[in-house]
Formats: sequence, C-alpha cells, structure tokens
Amino acid sequence: MQGKVQNRDVFLDKVAKRLGRARKMTIEPPVWKYNPQEEYLKGASRDELLEAFKTNGTGVNCDVTIAKKADAPKAVYDSIKALGGGPIVTWKDSRYEELFGLGKLFKEQLPGENIELFEWNHTLGRENIEKANTANIGITISEITLAESGTAVVYSDKDRGRTINFLPENSIILVPKSSIVPRMTQATKIIREKVKKGEVLPSCINYITGPSKSSDIEMKLVVGVHGPVRVKFIVIEDL
Amino acid sequence: MSIKTKFAGDKFKVRVEKKVKDSFMRGAVASATDTINGRKNQLTAEMGNWEDWRNHGEEIRKHVLENLDYYLHQFSENVAKNGGHVYFAANAEEANKYIREVVQKKNAKKIIKAKSMVTEEIGMNDSLEEIGCEVVESDLGEFILQLDDKEPPSHIVVPTLHKNKEQMRAVFERKLNYEGSSQPEELALCARKVLREKFLAADVGVIGCNFAIAETGSTTLVTNEGNADLVADLPKTLIVCMGMERIVPTFEEMDVLVGLLTRSAVGQKLTSYVTNLTGPRREGDVDGPEEFHVVIVDNGRSNILGTEFQPVLQCIRCAACINICPVYRHIGGHAYGSIYPGPIGIVLTPLLDGYEGNKELPYASTLCAACTEVCPVKIPLHQLIRRHREIIVEKEGKAPFSEKMMMKAFGLGTSNASLYNMASRMAHSVVKPLTKGDKITKGVGPLKEWTDYKDMPKPNKERFRDWFKKHKGGNN
Amino acid sequence: MKVSLFGTCLVDVLKADIGKATVELLEHLGCEVDYPEGQICCGQPTYNSGYLNETIPAMKRMIDVFADSKYVVGPSGSCVYMLHEYPHIFKDDPVYGPKAKALAEKSYELTQFIVEVMGIEDVGATFNGKVTYHPSCHMTRLLGVKNPPLTLLKNVKGLEFTELPQKEYCCGFGGTFSVKMGRISEKIVDEKVEHVKETGAEYLTGADYSCLMNISGRMERLGVPVKVLHIAQILNSR
Repeated sequence: MQGKVQNRDVFLDKVAKRLGRARKMTIEPPVWKYNPQEEYLKGASRDELLEAFKTNGTGVNCDVTIAKKADAPKAVYDSIKALGGGPIVTWKDSRYEELFGLGKLFKEQLPGENIELFEWNHTLGRENIEKANTANIGITISEITLAESGTAVVYSDKDRGRTINFLPENSIILVPKSSIVPRMTQATKIIREKVKKGEVLPSCINYITGPSKSSDIEMKLVVGVHGPVRVKFIVIEDL
Repeated sequence: MSIKTKFAGDKFKVRVEKKVKDSFMRGAVASATDTINGRKNQLTAEMGNWEDWRNHGEEIRKHVLENLDYYLHQFSENVAKNGGHVYFAANAEEANKYIREVVQKKNAKKIIKAKSMVTEEIGMNDSLEEIGCEVVESDLGEFILQLDDKEPPSHIVVPTLHKNKEQMRAVFERKLNYEGSSQPEELALCARKVLREKFLAADVGVIGCNFAIAETGSTTLVTNEGNADLVADLPKTLIVCMGMERIVPTFEEMDVLVGLLTRSAVGQKLTSYVTNLTGPRREGDVDGPEEFHVVIVDNGRSNILGTEFQPVLQCIRCAACINICPVYRHIGGHAYGSIYPGPIGIVLTPLLDGYEGNKELPYASTLCAACTEVCPVKIPLHQLIRRHREIIVEKEGKAPFSEKMMMKAFGLGTSNASLYNMASRMAHSVVKPLTKGDKITKGVGPLKEWTDYKDMPKPNKERFRDWFKKHKGGNN
Repeated sequence: MKVSLFGTCLVDVLKADIGKATVELLEHLGCEVDYPEGQICCGQPTYNSGYLNETIPAMKRMIDVFADSKYVVGPSGSCVYMLHEYPHIFKDDPVYGPKAKALAEKSYELTQFIVEVMGIEDVGATFNGKVTYHPSCHMTRLLGVKNPPLTLLKNVKGLEFTELPQKEYCCGFGGTFSVKMGRISEKIVDEKVEHVKETGAEYLTGADYSCLMNISGRMERLGVPVKVLHIAQILNSR
C-alpha cells in the first residue's frame, strides 16, 4: 500500500531556494575521494575473520562459542543449560535444521526434558509476543556477521519475529562461519545489492552487538536494561 | 520543552555561578568525558586512518547538504512506496499538530518514546500531554529525568551526566515507591520492570532517527539499551521524528557515518543495537508497526542552508565537541540554557532560536579549537563561534557599549603608532596605583575580572622595543 | 640568516625579558635580527571578539611593516597563527590578499623556525631543573606545531623533562574570554594548575606568553611555587 506524503513541495522549494538554485530532480551519483572503511581486514581469510569476531564478540555478558557442525546441537544445548533452560522461543526457520542440525534438539530432546520451546507462528498473532516476553532464551540466526565489532545482522520476517531478539532475558544467536565479513561495510554492500536487484528489504534489520546496556547512572555499565541481559554467539563451522 | 530550557530564564553569569559551585556535577562531567574520550582515542588510534574517516564523513555530509532537496524527495518517495507516511513540517507547530492528529485518529492515550533531540526541540511531550496523553521516556537516562519533574538533559548523549545515583534513588522512591538501594543495577532493574509494561501497553511509539537512507526510505537508529527497538516493534503505530538534515544517500554511507558516530559518541566500534526500519510491518508480521509515519522537521534549519553556517548541519549529534570542551567541562550542560550545550550548542542555538536570550553563548568558548579538531565530520566549530561574535557585534549591535568603546580604542591603539607609543610608554606608571610589588592584584575596568582570580604582571619599565633599539645601538 | 622579529604586543609591554631572550637566542644561532619598528599587535584580541572592522587597520599595518622581511619569527604560536589567518580574512581584497598570503608563508613560530627552517635541534643550552611544558592550543591545533618545542627542550643539557597530564586541555586564557568569563577561566586554569603541581616540576614552560601569563597569574594568586619561563628563556640559558 502506497503511503501519503504531505507538505513536500513547499518545504523542498524552500530548501532549494536557500541553496540558491532550482529543485534538483536528478543528480550525478557521488564519487567519494576517501574510502577508509574498505581497509579493515582487507583480504582476510575465513579463519582470520573468525578470530577477529571471537575477540570482538567477547565482552561483558557476551561470549562466542565455536563448534563443528556435528557438534552444534550439543553446543546449543549446553548454552541453553548454562543460561538456565526454558522457556525458549525460536523463529520458524528451516535453517535451524539445514545449517545447524538442530531439528532433533528442538523437536525431541528439549521437549523430552520438559524444556518448553515455542516456535514463532505468525498465525497466532499477539500470542507470539507474549511468549517472547516471558521466555528465558530467544534463539535467532545471523544473516551477516561483522568481525570488527562482534555483531550479528538479523533480518525480520513474518516467521522471524523481531522481538525474539529483545524481549527474552537471554539471547543465543547462531552464526554460520561463512556469514562473517570484516565489518558493516560488507554487510551494507550485500544489502545494497538486494536493493539494486529490486528485492524487497526486510522491514527491520538489526545489527546486534552484545547485550542491552546503559551507562546513564554515574557512567557505570549496567547490562540488561531493556533487552537481553546476556548474549551468546555460537559459531558453526559450516565450511 | 523547546530549544531553550527552563534554566534559560536566569542570566548566563548567574547560571554559571550556580554550576561552577556544583562540585559533584563538575567531577562527574570530568570523569565521564575523560572515560569516553579515552576510549575514543584508543579506538581511533588503533584504526590508523581516522583522518581519512573524518574526511570521508565530511564529504558525505557536504554532498548531502548540497543536494538536500533531491535526497529528501527520494527518501519520502521511498518511505511512501514502502507504505509509510511522510509529513514535512516547516516548524514545531506543524510537527506537533501532525503528531497530535495521528495520535488522536488512533484514539491513543499511551505513548512510549525513545530518546530524540528533535522531539525535545519541538516540545512534543508537552504538546501530547496537553491532549491528555501519557508520554513515557524509555531511555534510562531520559526516564529518570522525566520522573524528576521533567528535568532537562545536560548532555545530548548521556542526559543524566549531572546527577548522582543517590539523587536518582530519591526520585525513584518519590515517584515509583522504590525501596531498593542506589546500586545502578538495582535502579536499572526497577526501570526495566516499569518500562517493560509500558512498552507492551503503548498505543503509539515515537523514535528519533540518526540517519535516513534516501535510496530505500529506511531509517537508522543507534542505541545501547535497545529501548528504541521495543518502541519501534511493539506499538501498532510508530512515529519517527527527524531533523531534515539527517539524510544519507544509501546504506553504504550510513555505514561510514554510524562508524564515526559510535566511536565519537561513546568510544564503541558499534553500539549494542543499530536498527534499520524500512516501512511498516509486512503482511503476516506480528511485530513492527502497522502504521509508520515519518515527520521531517525544518524548524529553522533551512535558514542555515546557503549561509556560512551551513557546515553546522553536517552535525551527526555525537557530542564529541561537548566531551572535549574545557568550558563545558566546568559548567556542565544546564548552564547553556539550551537543549544543545557545548560548542555545537553555541553554534546551533542562536541559529535555530535567534540571538535574543542566547547572545552570551558564543562568548562561552576559549576558541581553543579542540571541538574543531575532534569533530568527526569536520565542522569548523570554533570559527563559527567566532563568526557569531562578529554578527552579534556588527549586525545585531548587541555588544555592550563599554566593550565597543574599549574594542574601538584597542583597534585604534593597535593601528596608530603614536597612540600605541603613548599608551604603552604610560602603561607602567598608569597602573602603578593598582600594583603590589611587581604585579597587579586589584585591577579596574576590564582588568578587574582578571585580577579577581589571578595576578597580573606589571608592565615593563622599559618596553621591549626600547631595549632592542639600545641593543642594536650597542652592537653597531 | 636575516630574521625579522615579530615581538608581539604583550611581550613589548608586559614581558620584555622574553623578547630579549628571543633576540639573544636567534643571534646566538647566527641570525641577524631586526625588529621592524612599526609593528604593534596582530589584532587577535579584537578579531576574536568579533570586531573585524576594528581589526582591519591593525592587520594591514602588520602586513605592510613586514613586507620586506625574508622571515618573520615570533615567540608566540597564537600570534603567529593569527598572521596565518590573514589570507583568509583578506581573501577578497585584491591588494592585501596577495600581501597577506606572502606574509603568512614566511611567518614562523620561534621553535618551528629553529627546527624546521634552520634545521637545528640542539641550541646548545644548559638549564638545570625539572621542567614541564604546556602546549598551547592555537600553536598545536591551528598552526600545527607540536614537536619542535619538545625536540629543542629534550636537547637542553641538565633539563629534566616531565610530561604535563592532560596537556592538550586549554589553560582557560582564551584572549578576552579571560576577562569576559573570568569565573569559568578560573575553573579551567585551576585544573591546569593541579596538573602542573602533579608533575612535581620546578618550572613550567610554553611557547605562548599569553597562556603562561594566565597560568602563572593563577599560580601566584594561589601561592603555588612553580616558576614560569617562556621557552625562549630556557633555550637561551647557557
């Protein structure tokens, strides 16, 4: 559905007038003289990127575990236990099984141990949010992962609720090793390629770097102000 | 609130006098800014090419301002294409009127907000409270200030910088019946519980926008708390407020400016959360707003375009200039009487709010240029501050008469040799009554404000130039 | 080497000793020093206070006075920077624009001149004492001169150098700021004084007399027994 735009012409006419010219309806795309953002970890190998991610993704209430694909279910299970168990919310996403082999863990092992696991189901509407709000752990998947800052880039979708990354007490973010890039520069290029190809962008893209935190009280770091208190990245060596 | 805060009623010197006596505040500001500056310096030194980053940031911001009408048009087209609504507001009244209409159409009473300087600037909270809405600030610092009878922020990134945890605890006790300790963790946990309910119950969310991406109609939010995400994701209606200059061409330039912002503002490579919102929720989505509004605010900004002050619109609100300013360090944010303190505030406030009531601000600077040196988008802040002084003196005619006379006299003395010779030869004997030993301890006129705090050397008996003549004579 | 001394008005009226040390130092290093008689003040006090029109005659005077000089050297980073500001101020003036540019191109702060133009890093000075150095803002940030004074100080025999904590912070002088906003200036300089005390130095030095006057004025008022010398005075000690 097309939205409404109001008051635009009088507003932009004034802007153009103040700039001393007529309105511009086309421009030459800018060519930048400087591009320092391209330099960071330029040409780094997958292992170097992983090493940087591990260093930068580790901090207060935030850590990185690396597991072989075959060990992924155990790594995730151990993390769940370490974070205090259920209730857990996940997206509805076939990649949990395809990339990480977590189908059995989610469908059999955890329920078998009476650890409640709720899978996002958009047809249930608001109930999803209530589940996320009372969950102990949310488990999501990083689309692109930034080595420089230890950041997961997460896309929203109807089966991939945004709030799973914000409402639960704890966050587990699964990171395919192949998704690690040097920094946000490469992520925004990937996103921009989608735009150029005419793909519809997710309505929400989150770049998540550690837990929710604040220094508003006497500059003392407090974690878990609104969102997750702890964030655990589990990197799966998918290559 | 508007640009002027409730403290602006007092004369500048009165405000300064109050603040320099607040040793807690001054200590807190010094230690907080030292911490942020230290982290920032370490990060930028590690990068090794920070100057290139600044140059890149500057070229992006300059390009955007030169083509602002084009990019705003493109941005608004794309927001609408994504299903969002865009309202261009010429001033605070128009912006508030539109926001009230959106709220009233939804019959909304509960508004949840994330930190946004432009909503402070237009006084949005008061405007919504007038029509019976409850407006809740969700940024921890802003939440505390709002509870404390709407105390204005004293810093644009760390709004509570001037307050200690005991004061905060007292506010929680008074307003939330809080019985816990003043431990930051415990205070924050209390706020978390209160605010979680507010997030879930709110009808309308209001957030700011650090960078608006023209090519896709997306907005960008940079926070550490994640409150802005809950504001954006939970209520059914979302209003994004942005100053009209917050534009970048594409995701790629957003990357660069976010990198400059997080390093300069808080000394982090990235904050915990950076979020791009592209329109309302999609079909089938359970979270994210059903209605997505963007209010683009001019409120005096367009009058800055095309003037020598245009570079101030390059600002990305990182507060690095505030954190490095020796004057801010000792008087804190409230003394400025503006929601925008420090060097950026000194430049911006008179431009958005006029010189009336703000004409002392440009003098609250030593022109040490630390602000210019630190600015990630290379705004020549100290030069713009000096330029304000020229305008106050020459165009506005607002300088005090006695100062004008003195400056005129100084101008004459420094350009007329016989006048200078007379004055400089006499200086030694003229100030004699004021001296004690070899120094002046009780000055009069303009010297008084110096000698109130510092000794001043007595003029030479023999001027340097007279010595030099003799020295040369002796050599020849 | 022929050098025209830009003595600055503060030195002329308030601290002739700094001018004397500058002349003696340059002569010791083999320069032939002259002091163009017509010079008064670079105009910075009025210019930075917003009185541009009142400053124009003073600046034109300085441009004319030094028109024939090969090098213009001054013992003040801030005042020398002001000469570098002239080309921007006169950029639209067909007569004074080019002259201002010529002046800026040949104007140097004293230590910058010694190190960068004369190529000297050791002036052969001896000075016994523990010394800390305040790098003034205009000299470091605007004129861009950071290392020359340190290079020269470190080669002074007998001098024990100690770094000033948070040295890059302004001392609170700020020209007319110090008499318009005396209360804030006091607080800023107090912090600087604390840092000077922390170093345990016997002497504070710097390359701008205005900043030194500000810091020493406060230290004298507070009874802090640190002696203040301009860098020319230290470099001229033998």
